[in-house]
Amino acid sequence: MLVPYPENCTGCRFCEMACTIFHEGVVNHTTARLQVHKKNVKVDFPSVCTHCVSCGEDCCVLHCPVEAIKKENGRVFVNQDECTACGTCVEVCPFGVMRMEEKAFNCDLCGGDPTCVKFCPMKAIVYEEPKPEQYEKVKKLLGEE
Amino acid sequence: MKGYVGKILKVDLTTEKWHIKSFDEKHVRNVLGGQGFCVDIVYHGVPEGADPLGSQNVLAIAGGAFDGFPVGTGGKVAFAAKGPATNTLVESIMGGSIGPELRHAGYDALEITGKADGPAYIFIEDDKIEINDASDLWGKDTRVVPEALKKRHGWDVKVACIGVAGEKLSNMACIDCDDRQSGRGGLGAVMGSKNLKAIVVRGTRDLVPHDPKKLLELALHYQKIYEASPSFVEDTKYGTGEFLGWVNKDRGVFPTKNWQESVYNERQQIDPYYWAPKYVTKNKACFACTKPCGKLFEVKSGKFAGVAIDGIEYETLYSLGGTCGNPDVESVARANELCDLLGLDTISCGVTIGFAMELYQRGIISRQEAGVDLSWSNAPSAVPEMVELIGNRRGFGDVLANGVKVAAQKIGKGAERYAIHTKGLEPPAYDVRGMKGHGLAYMTSTRGACHLRAGFYAPELVGKFWKWEGIDRFSAVGKGPMVATMENFMCVYDSVGLCKFSRGFYLIAKLPEVLEAITGLRFTEDELLKIGERIHNMKGAFNYREGVTRKDWLLPQRVLEDPITDGVSKGSKISVDEMNLMLDDYMNARGWTKDGKPTPEKLKELGIE
Repeated sequence: MLVPYPENCTGCRFCEMACTIFHEGVVNHTTARLQVHKKNVKVDFPSVCTHCVSCGEDCCVLHCPVEAIKKENGRVFVNQDECTACGTCVEVCPFGVMRMEEKAFNCDLCGGDPTCVKFCPMKAIVYEEPKPEQYEKVKKLLGEE
Repeated sequence: MKGYVGKILKVDLTTEKWHIKSFDEKHVRNVLGGQGFCVDIVYHGVPEGADPLGSQNVLAIAGGAFDGFPVGTGGKVAFAAKGPATNTLVESIMGGSIGPELRHAGYDALEITGKADGPAYIFIEDDKIEINDASDLWGKDTRVVPEALKKRHGWDVKVACIGVAGEKLSNMACIDCDDRQSGRGGLGAVMGSKNLKAIVVRGTRDLVPHDPKKLLELALHYQKIYEASPSFVEDTKYGTGEFLGWVNKDRGVFPTKNWQESVYNERQQIDPYYWAPKYVTKNKACFACTKPCGKLFEVKSGKFAGVAIDGIEYETLYSLGGTCGNPDVESVARANELCDLLGLDTISCGVTIGFAMELYQRGIISRQEAGVDLSWSNAPSAVPEMVELIGNRRGFGDVLANGVKVAAQKIGKGAERYAIHTKGLEPPAYDVRGMKGHGLAYMTSTRGACHLRAGFYAPELVGKFWKWEGIDRFSAVGKGPMVATMENFMCVYDSVGLCKFSRGFYLIAKLPEVLEAITGLRFTEDELLKIGERIHNMKGAFNYREGVTRKDWLLPQRVLEDPITDGVSKGSKISVDEMNLMLDDYMNARGWTKDGKPTPEKLKELGIE
């Protein structure tokens, strides 16, 4: 999973650009599957899809009215045929990374070799075993905003 | 033409109207983006003799050609206007995220004219443009303002704003975005004179490159190069001040106590090798920078507990440290924080305080006049105190608020002798008496004394750069053409929006590949340098038109008369003859008259109207 380390984030936002260049061939932070928040001089942090590790009751899988969001091998994905683009998942996602164009979509870990991680020499996003305490840090920071 | 939106947004604050102007490939081939776009706007938009702080002045903002695309360290945005400190065309570059956000909103550049009735801010959200009341933000600092505006418009808007110094029209007022600053030349005062407190942007549109696959490949290629370089380790551990000890000990050109000395012997604490392990809690970066030199510097206890800044940069270690004889790094950090909050350029502010301290040392100003004990031994208290007075224009701070040139005129009594500046701008952290070509660059810089218009400190301190080797920093011979070429080179970097600290990784030869992946347009190295030359000539022609000629370029008296007193550069100065030789060589290389006028033939050759 992608694990965020807010204490390492410089706020450069390269990961956001790399994300959509890889997936769509364009740059657009409103469709990036992760978000960088530049809160103030002391705090920058990445918010990533935790694939339900720390979402609790706000999990998109639980809330999808048509059960289009599934979990498989620990990863969450939206079945594009079943999604009705109602926007419920975007609203509930506590990390702000469920995205919507014609249908909902989220982080697919770039098929197992996440692009964002390659551009983060500071290790603010690391591809490793999920660390719930790191997700909680991000959740807390998001709650303060 | 991919990469660009192809649009410039023009907002007039007087009429509260705006319109959009389109541009095509011809414009890109002329001026490229970023600084080039801004210079073009100011060159054509500001009428002759316009008051820099009047409604006729134009403030231009533009991200570079790379800005918004995944190019490591390629996220720079340019601001420009006619500057109040120098009466010249001033552009100032920073790494805040307002540049890419403007492009996402649909504009490669923003041109602001006129003057608002009262405190105002511009809000841009794609097609929606508003000029809103900023009365409640007036008087607020550069951290309170973005926080308030993000509460109002959402966490993801990008905010550029001024502090109190900009409102009070200080010649050293800067523009702040993401705790990064367009510092030099008083562009914050230009915003203040327009009653413009902030610019707020949210953009949601796609930026579309010509060849995304190639772009991503190039980004990965350069990322590997960055991470393998020694400068990656130095930048991430110690920031831009990494070479402070070396500049002092091995080169002897670190101006100290208002340029009376050139080695700061009490530098132990302000050297990042001392302070980084102790105070740095995190790395900070400009937009798109994957090789971060920014540091989160936090003071946790003592008199200055609570200080938290993105810093301290090399330049600030000199300006609020060395040249004020301030050896206390916590005091430097606090003064840096005050500069950021009040919206002051740390270079100009620090040099001006150092100047006042020398006047105090010489009895030209008294304790009573200063209102603060400005003796060198009291620097750790006096420096932050003076920053507050300057930013708020209180007491003696009002005398200093427009920099050393204006302050010396006000004070009289021979104070001019100690005012270190060219064209009215205070110099950065290199004692040019021991690096003569860089001294020329301080004179030729279109915005006044600057280390980055030519970046000539690198060739002279290291002895080689790009196509040159064996450069003798103590020689004035042959420097004219080199400085002119480097100025053209640097204009290209500021126009593509690439950090100048990356110039060694790309030089010019490697830029066309990246530009092509983004824009689909092909450029040769020579074409890029020609664009740089064009941009510099526009600035030169503007300045000459405004009456700023060779007589205004000259080096300060101290540099010409007092040799360096200590260290490895001891005995060196730039003589009047050497100064004139370098200037003549430079004018020749540029094809300008001896007086600094770009000739009609030169302008015609470059297609400048």
